[in-house]
Amino acid sequence: MRPQIKFCGMRSKKDVVNACSAGADYLGFIFAPSKRRVRPEDVCEWTAELPQNNRALLTGVFVDEEETTIIQTAKTAGLDIIQCHGNETSVDVHAMKTALSGVQVFKTIHHESGALLRMKEFENAADGFLVDTKTEHSMGGTGTAFDWDAVPEYSEEAKRQGVPIFIAGGITAGNADELLKYHPWGLDISSGIETGDEKDYRKMVTIMKKTANVYAFPDELGRFGDFGGKYVPETLMYALTQLEEAYHTITAEESFKAELQQELKRYAGRPTEITYAGSLTEAYGGAQIYLKREDLLHTGAHKINNALAQGLLAKKMGKTEIIAETGAGQHGVATATMAARFGLSCKVFMGAEDMKRQELNVFRMRLLGAEVLEVQSGGKTLKDATNEAIRHWVANVDTTFYLIGSVVGPHPYPMIVRNFQRVIGDESIRQMEEICGKQPAEAVACVGGGSNAMGMFYPYINSGVRLTGIEAAGKGMDTPDHAATLSKGRKGVLHGALSYLIQDDHGNVFEPYSISAGLDYPGIGPEHAHLRDSGIVNYEAVTDDEAMDALEDLCRLEGILPAIETAHALAYVKRAAKSYSEDDALLVCLSGRGDKDVHTIQQVLGGADK
Amino acid sequence: MNRLTQPGFQTKDALFVPYMMSGDPTMDASTDIAVALQEAGADALEWGVPFSDPLADGPVIQEAGKRAQKTGGNLPQALAGMKEARKKGLHIPAVLFTYVNPVLTYGVEALIHDMKESGFDGILIPDLPYEESTDWREKFLENGLSLVPLIAPSSQNRTEKISKSADGFLYYVTSLGVTGERTSFSEKIADDIAAIQNFTEVPVLAGFGITTNEHVRHFQSIADGAIVGSAIVKEIGKEEEALLDSRTRADAVKRIKSFVEALISY
Repeated sequence: MRPQIKFCGMRSKKDVVNACSAGADYLGFIFAPSKRRVRPEDVCEWTAELPQNNRALLTGVFVDEEETTIIQTAKTAGLDIIQCHGNETSVDVHAMKTALSGVQVFKTIHHESGALLRMKEFENAADGFLVDTKTEHSMGGTGTAFDWDAVPEYSEEAKRQGVPIFIAGGITAGNADELLKYHPWGLDISSGIETGDEKDYRKMVTIMKKTANVYAFPDELGRFGDFGGKYVPETLMYALTQLEEAYHTITAEESFKAELQQELKRYAGRPTEITYAGSLTEAYGGAQIYLKREDLLHTGAHKINNALAQGLLAKKMGKTEIIAETGAGQHGVATATMAARFGLSCKVFMGAEDMKRQELNVFRMRLLGAEVLEVQSGGKTLKDATNEAIRHWVANVDTTFYLIGSVVGPHPYPMIVRNFQRVIGDESIRQMEEICGKQPAEAVACVGGGSNAMGMFYPYINSGVRLTGIEAAGKGMDTPDHAATLSKGRKGVLHGALSYLIQDDHGNVFEPYSISAGLDYPGIGPEHAHLRDSGIVNYEAVTDDEAMDALEDLCRLEGILPAIETAHALAYVKRAAKSYSEDDALLVCLSGRGDKDVHTIQQVLGGADK
Repeated sequence: MNRLTQPGFQTKDALFVPYMMSGDPTMDASTDIAVALQEAGADALEWGVPFSDPLADGPVIQEAGKRAQKTGGNLPQALAGMKEARKKGLHIPAVLFTYVNPVLTYGVEALIHDMKESGFDGILIPDLPYEESTDWREKFLENGLSLVPLIAPSSQNRTEKISKSADGFLYYVTSLGVTGERTSFSEKIADDIAAIQNFTEVPVLAGFGITTNEHVRHFQSIADGAIVGSAIVKEIGKEEEALLDSRTRADAVKRIKSFVEALISY
């Protein structure tokens, strides 16, 4: 959903009509002493001709007003919402709500220390909030902005309470983009849509256009456009709701943020560097190639970002047992590592077939103290391991935390995993600015379930950087042996989410093929399905042969052995670099190192010297 | 109106509803077993659809799905099989038990049309919780088919809205976990069921893990009836070979019928 827009300080019928035609969701009228003060009977007249269906909601702004006056004003003006902008208490707000049935009461919170606590005081009393700049002499309305770094905290608290929240104070067409980066639920704009002392229609339209492009998924139902949702047995619904609430509450706490930050830095090795690949750039020609080095992290891949964060969340939720699914074993190893570090018990579900193929990782997980459970159902690979993990979770939902390793599964998992991996993109934006003084022309990542790609792409969405996800084309797109879910799959539900799936004519899901054990998942994260269908991200497929070729290039030219998964992204770079000029930069998410794949690589390349 | 919503089913005490996997081990055997279950005293029948990823099912029903898939079992076959069972004399209400994905593939409108033509009365989709079910529930309802909802011991404050949406009957999941046999049940089930009965007029049937005659009688006393799946499917599984051979099939079906008669006798 795009952010909701409230145009405040309407002073004429023309203002009202303009605001509505620009597409405002809320109209604000000031009934307190102010240059923008209006009379209730005028408001009634100006809004009388608005269509009754789907019209903007009428909000009246009051500062420490008498309850009887508010009631009378609300009735005369036909208000939908009362906004208490002064020093009203939660008792006042509650009383007002009782007196005015059918009218919502919002409370303005002034940004200052203790503001969050003040929001908590109004829990169950206020139907919504507005956060405004605190000033010495006036109750807001001064046209100055507060420090928007605080916006996410306010948003989380409102989300926890399940109520809307507007950000107000000094928002203009010029700085709206900056605020929108913090994903506010709503924007309240007054002086920002004025020229001189008059409301300006063009400014209203400009603001509306900026917000229309805002990416704000998932929605309340856990959907990314058509995709996502929660397709799970009823037994798990409560656990998913509980997880979502805990996620919002706990991750907003300073102590959680600080602890996670410490673990990512001191234990996992963040931030990871960006390496300029000079020889590869020269060999491929065209764009300058940069590598975001997730392979340098503890345990050798980006998976640890999510494992540590979800592990910490589990610990704070008081869960004692962690379960996880694993295919190639990378997520299993990351989870087992985290569990050892945090002193949690850990069960990893792994298909019997995968256990044979990834013997060393099985041993590694057991060495780290995890119990590896052999899954004999279905095709005995990742898909079945995931089914089995869900079955175990259904039976032990009270004590168990299911730590999903990719941006898949029922809501809230795709959102949680994305948000715990977005550190990849956030760091990249900062580092590219430092290193190149600009952002790349294109950012590339491989996609199986899609967590490293979501982590890289999410902060870059709608930034003008071209984003490309690379699927595994296996032995070729015209053969049945591929794992190109987006290119070849059909919409369907697997593991709790609606996305694209590789399936037969009757909706049975089957094992896809890729040389890379991390890309042969029959589904794909629902957000990728949405990003593809909405054209925000571009997806391409790369064959086994192309991937192995690119893997050898990186080894020989840069002295880096990438994971075979990652090599798929590099193979695309080999194709695409030429189409750019030397002034452009291409950023690749080097999601993991290839030590785990040495055996496979040796088999494929025959160990021959080149 | 369908057979589930008629007074014969809605007002009967101590209902017994068995689950079986269609096409296990062949569709011909399944339709015979369906009729035998009716003769043994079934008040309605749950007709399972084989699926690659049955995540609400335990090993017994997973194996049954595999056996059915070996002989070509899938959603279109399950529909055709019910038509056949009706021809063989099945007259009790029938509920299609399928996961979401086969329905998406088939198309919900086409499925509704073909379910009616095949003689189904309702549908049960274990991975379609209340929040995701609105569109489909309305479509089924408009066409006189019941979408049977599930409530679990962990449903808590979701119980009321789910109960109020129930049509045909309501499936109360007796224990956390997947389908399969259990030895014990929680004490609080009776209270949960009583609470649900306050919100809905339709029968509340208890299922998941009900294995013995004692279990059946217990749940028929605290709920409006009992659903038995894995215990019966296991018996069918034991008879796989006999059911595959046309010379021994009739006797195998008789043994399954006797097992069910003993399971529900008072």
